[in-house]
Amino acid sequence: MKKYETPLLDELEKGPFPSFVKEIKKAAAKNIMANDELGQVEYSYKTNRVYWKHGGIVGVLGYGGGIIGRYSMLPEMFPEVKFFHTVRVNQPSGWFYTTEVLRELMDICDKYGSGICNFHGSTGDIIFLGTTTENLEPIFAELTSHEKPRHLRFDLGGSGSALRTPSACNGPARCEWANYDTLEACHQITHEFQDEIHRPAFNYKFKFKFAGCACDCVASIARADCSVIGTWKGPILIDQDAVKWHEKKGMDIDREIVRMCPTECISYDGKELKIDNDECNRCMHCITRLHKALKPSGERGATICIGNKAPIVIGTIISHVIIPFMKLEPPFTEFKELARKMWDWWDEHSKPRERIGEVIEFQGMRSFLEAIGVEPIPQMIKEPRRDPFIFFKDEDIARVKEVEEEEKRTGKIIF
Amino acid sequence: MEKEELKDKIYALVLAAKGKKKLKERDVINGVSEGTGVDKDTVKQTMREMIDVGRLMYSYAGGASSVEIPDEAYLREKGMIK
Amino acid sequence: MGFYGDRKLTAEEAKKLRETDIGPPYFRDFLPPVIKKNYGQWKEHDILSAGLMVHTAESGDKIWTIRVATPRLIATDTVREACDIADKYCDGHLRWTSRNNIEFLVSDEKKVEPIQKELKERGFLMGGIGYRISNVVHTQGWVHCHGAATDASGLVKSMMDELAEYFTTKELPNKLRLAVACCPNMCGAVHCSDIAVVAIHTTVPIIDHDKLGKICEIPTSIASCPTKAISPYPEKKSVKIKDEKCMYCGNCFTVCPAFDPFDTERDGCAIVIGGKVNCLRTNTKFARLVVPFISNRPPRWPKVVAIIKHIIELYAKHARKHERVGEWVDRIGWERFFKLSGITFTYQCIDDFTFMRDTFRNASTFKW
Repeated sequence: MKKYETPLLDELEKGPFPSFVKEIKKAAAKNIMANDELGQVEYSYKTNRVYWKHGGIVGVLGYGGGIIGRYSMLPEMFPEVKFFHTVRVNQPSGWFYTTEVLRELMDICDKYGSGICNFHGSTGDIIFLGTTTENLEPIFAELTSHEKPRHLRFDLGGSGSALRTPSACNGPARCEWANYDTLEACHQITHEFQDEIHRPAFNYKFKFKFAGCACDCVASIARADCSVIGTWKGPILIDQDAVKWHEKKGMDIDREIVRMCPTECISYDGKELKIDNDECNRCMHCITRLHKALKPSGERGATICIGNKAPIVIGTIISHVIIPFMKLEPPFTEFKELARKMWDWWDEHSKPRERIGEVIEFQGMRSFLEAIGVEPIPQMIKEPRRDPFIFFKDEDIARVKEVEEEEKRTGKIIF
Repeated sequence: MEKEELKDKIYALVLAAKGKKKLKERDVINGVSEGTGVDKDTVKQTMREMIDVGRLMYSYAGGASSVEIPDEAYLREKGMIK
Repeated sequence: MGFYGDRKLTAEEAKKLRETDIGPPYFRDFLPPVIKKNYGQWKEHDILSAGLMVHTAESGDKIWTIRVATPRLIATDTVREACDIADKYCDGHLRWTSRNNIEFLVSDEKKVEPIQKELKERGFLMGGIGYRISNVVHTQGWVHCHGAATDASGLVKSMMDELAEYFTTKELPNKLRLAVACCPNMCGAVHCSDIAVVAIHTTVPIIDHDKLGKICEIPTSIASCPTKAISPYPEKKSVKIKDEKCMYCGNCFTVCPAFDPFDTERDGCAIVIGGKVNCLRTNTKFARLVVPFISNRPPRWPKVVAIIKHIIELYAKHARKHERVGEWVDRIGWERFFKLSGITFTYQCIDDFTFMRDTFRNASTFKW
């Protein structure tokens, strides 16, 4: 095996934080693909630019996603990364593993790939970094083989103009704040939409992320076209003794809780903490800080937000509220129907490479809300419109006229 | 409509667009469904059968996915031709 | 060795064994028994140190979590090493966080000390829990992406070597979330991070006209430009770019490889700050630009690292407890931030894209 001098990358083996160079070298010690990867990355460091070619069409038979074609621009210098495709493997909900399944996956990655992986890619998949075209079908067969017990069988994730692999926070598995079962929702919705993940039919990508509360540990509002964020409807329950415990531990309740409440709905007289629950907007600052004393109660569900995307093309969008509260319980029928309605509307109104959030900006919220069958309510917006350029349909004016007729009849003005 | 006839219609639509316009899966389904009156689910299912045996394939270029007619290299790699 | 051992499957075998659309395995099969038993019944959690927390269930059962950093890119043997540790102390159970950390899930209190000792001896870095930096979300960079304007892993490593104590020990006023995106596509959640690096181009792409005519659709190429800088060039059966309209986003390159946006001298990094994801106290915030361009300086990007460290130290010193970076800056004002930090304010800091009108100041109530 060729030995590359890597003086620049060697610098990145020093220092306290774990080193990706050590990882590549560990793989390169016994894998020729990883060795040439090391060589090419060093060459990038030396010359200040990337040497991977633009795209390429590869995949497993029947699927349009899950594999990203990757080819070196310098196959003569680094022949073993001439083909260096990415394999996206759909992770289990919440990224929980047993050592048995991890070893199975690592053995497949070693046998057919470079021995380098990502835990995890930005969307949530397990990534095998680097394999050849001829190894794609064998990798897929080993991952999915019907001879293996179910828990050792993995499928590919999404890529291209498809539903991308959904992901979820660790939810009720290890968190007291989960307002719905994020893991089960992620699992069942991933299984429901296998076709949409594997066979790209959309105009562009579409992502779901499932977060159990406003803390949003999977960054759903910033990283998913459809962000599902857990919330509740009942009062915050207070354990007054535990409030005292926090105070004894050094918390300044007035400064850190009362005065930091965005809706000014908390008061504390040194004896009793009170919350005006009607005025609370459920931001969870107090709950996360007084974590032994406060907890949500009552009806649980999620706020559904839509539209997030990164800046290309018209600028970044953060998801915005479309359904303030939806019950989310297995089998998640209402949510699945919503997804299908959204996709139908999106498909009808979009051009290639337009994300749903952009299309809502082009078409207006009304068209979208009518398509998914949702009536407008103030919880959807931060503020009403600022301009007088208002679309009306004939039926809207007719409704106003009807109300005015009624007012004339009764002599009472209706707001 | 006979399944083989439907397959031919799907193939013809993709062939006609070759080199001119990239068709995504839904374009093909909608186009064939409108042209033949066959419901979309049936078209989708039939198209999937064609993709599963390499008569059509998914492609990806310019940041978007599309449906194409496979080239020889693809068919050889998938063991469809020797 | 795995289910099929060392032997590679033949194409024929693969055809017989493969099955499509099976989806991921069921996560419940991977949960430790104490989690299965107390699923949805957790009462509270306590952070015991930067790398250790304990969750207590209504039943009184407990589970301890030990968090260690990884560089995201990880060799199979390192995963196996983590497996050996999880077998020894966690009955074979572990998970990953959304920010590339491994969490060892310990059900037996007696094993909490020994696993930390062994992790330390093996060189794993424990930390990231609580009001600290919890690793860096980042993209592939030169390691594996075709569009990278810088390397992401190297930047992360360089930053975190300098900031490691904010992972392992030191507390900050609130959580601090860092991200690195290796091009303006921003696959790395940069736009809602407290402090982030986004790699950018600063030159107009060069067009290979022969290639464009052959492999790209002209209307698609024109439509890809957000500022309408691209127009037809019929003489060459290609397109041209109006230089002064191009802000180097690279979207034309994404759509068509005949555009070349790369420039070894003029690709580099911008720094944005003040974003957040969660809705605690204040709503989700965008990160905003404070440093428009720093040249790529591998392997350590010293200027990028120095500026980020400087901002973090300012934040640690000046922010009130529980304030995120963006909340702190919103309270003191951006004009105060630039004064405090000494960072040069330039034309590039003023937005001239789609959100510009929301970013101008409409009052005389600013600070000197």
